[in-house]
Amino acid sequence: MSNEVYIIGTGQTKFGEFFNLNIGDLASEAVNKAIENAGIGKDEIRTLFIGSTVSNSLSQSSIGGICTRSCSLSSNAYRIESGNASGAAAFHHAFLSIKSGLYDVVAVLGIDKLSDYIQNGTIEKILASSIDYQWEYEMGATLTGLYSFLTQAHMEEYGTTLEQLAYIPTKNHQNGVLNPKAQYRYAIPLEKFLNAKRIADPIGRFDVATPCDGAAVVILASERYIENKKPHSYKVKILSSSAGSDTLALQHREKLTELKATRLAVNDAYNKAKISANDINVAEVHDSHPIGEILAIEDLGLVPKGEGGKATVEGLTALNGKITVNPSGGLKARGDPFGATGIAQLIEIVEQIRGNAGKRQVEDVKYGLTQNVMGTGVMSYVSILGRGDN
Amino acid sequence: MEPPKIWRERRERYLGIGIICEDCQKKNFPKTRICPDCGSENVKPYKIAERGTLKYFTQIMNTGDELIFNTPYIVGLVELEDGIKVTAQIVDCDFKELRKGMKLEKTFRVLARNGKEGLIKYGFKFRPI
Repeated sequence: MSNEVYIIGTGQTKFGEFFNLNIGDLASEAVNKAIENAGIGKDEIRTLFIGSTVSNSLSQSSIGGICTRSCSLSSNAYRIESGNASGAAAFHHAFLSIKSGLYDVVAVLGIDKLSDYIQNGTIEKILASSIDYQWEYEMGATLTGLYSFLTQAHMEEYGTTLEQLAYIPTKNHQNGVLNPKAQYRYAIPLEKFLNAKRIADPIGRFDVATPCDGAAVVILASERYIENKKPHSYKVKILSSSAGSDTLALQHREKLTELKATRLAVNDAYNKAKISANDINVAEVHDSHPIGEILAIEDLGLVPKGEGGKATVEGLTALNGKITVNPSGGLKARGDPFGATGIAQLIEIVEQIRGNAGKRQVEDVKYGLTQNVMGTGVMSYVSILGRGDN
Repeated sequence: MEPPKIWRERRERYLGIGIICEDCQKKNFPKTRICPDCGSENVKPYKIAERGTLKYFTQIMNTGDELIFNTPYIVGLVELEDGIKVTAQIVDCDFKELRKGMKLEKTFRVLARNGKEGLIKYGFKFRPI
């Protein structure tokens, strides 16, 4: 028997600002929903993998025990950190734990609570922890400042325009309207992005995803478990989960017009899944800044290199376009609770494959892909999901 | 800001000391004990070039608390004459005057302040020549 890995349950809180909820409250809501969705018992979960960037507070970095107590779990639990990609990193390790044959059922919790830190420059320091803190942040750069360099490099090399860039958040907000779990469920007209004050020229104040609160859970199970127990929920197969890396600081990269880590991860992911970019029907990518989505769709091979802006304007990546990108609204409209983002991306693809995505359902989804990035692309995680009967 | 960290980084921040690899001859900044390019332990200190050109730049309107006193300020990616690239603030000029490819030189400045009475961290920035 092969050792395929399946997602058998998902659960997610709404994303947004929840000043009355702590990290345990958010975790228990998402975990309970996922367990109910999977139709399993809590005692069947062997390990809780937690993807989180800043955890409960700046002083409580060990949140495993907090989450198990508040969720009434007796499993082992630990936190995996990979900046804004912590959720995808935790998922990758959960996948490996079942793929290796060690465990049969594990849960992955992506969680962060960032609304406590939006004042006094703290969130900028938290974001700076996933760039080179010493030689980028302390020298004066911010995450958005560095994304400005990536934007300029792409505009210069491929002639990408501010208008093309503004189509990205415009599209994602249109999709976010249809997502009940999104933080911002309203459309924003293109002109508003174009006319906004520049916070790190050429990046405008409405272009950047908002750090917020949220928790998201997926439950993974082995083929052996499913054959013996047959949980009621419709299973989705994990065809591959891959990781790639690049230098931490932009100044150490040869070129700024590609996300090398994403390219390395996706090549491995396509090989392991035995499919190509042409087979992907829907993708959830890291659009923390508009250039992030353009680089992602190009380096994932979904559109030709240099044509990400043009493809977006032409509607190729719109809902039910040639390939739907960020039907959930992306980080921009869904909100970005760092650790929870990578898991929310996977949940969106699971819902699309199960046919449960409601008004944002993409027609006839066979394969879906997620891409989650740390900082300016130092680590990147790509997962490909398919129907359970593949 | 931690005093031991500021002390430990003094040669890099104040003098711009990186490394040169005696095996592959590659220069790197900041310093590492082994060459990031070839893995050799045969590295010696190297002082980075004082002049360079502006590759990319932007104006920072919002940042962390120790740097916020300075906003809005300009930060750029500078390619030095020896090929090393660094991220640094660009000073003594107006944002609108800056152009890609401008010649710049290194200058010693205040990088961050820990409130009105706390530590001051110094380091290098660049200014147009």
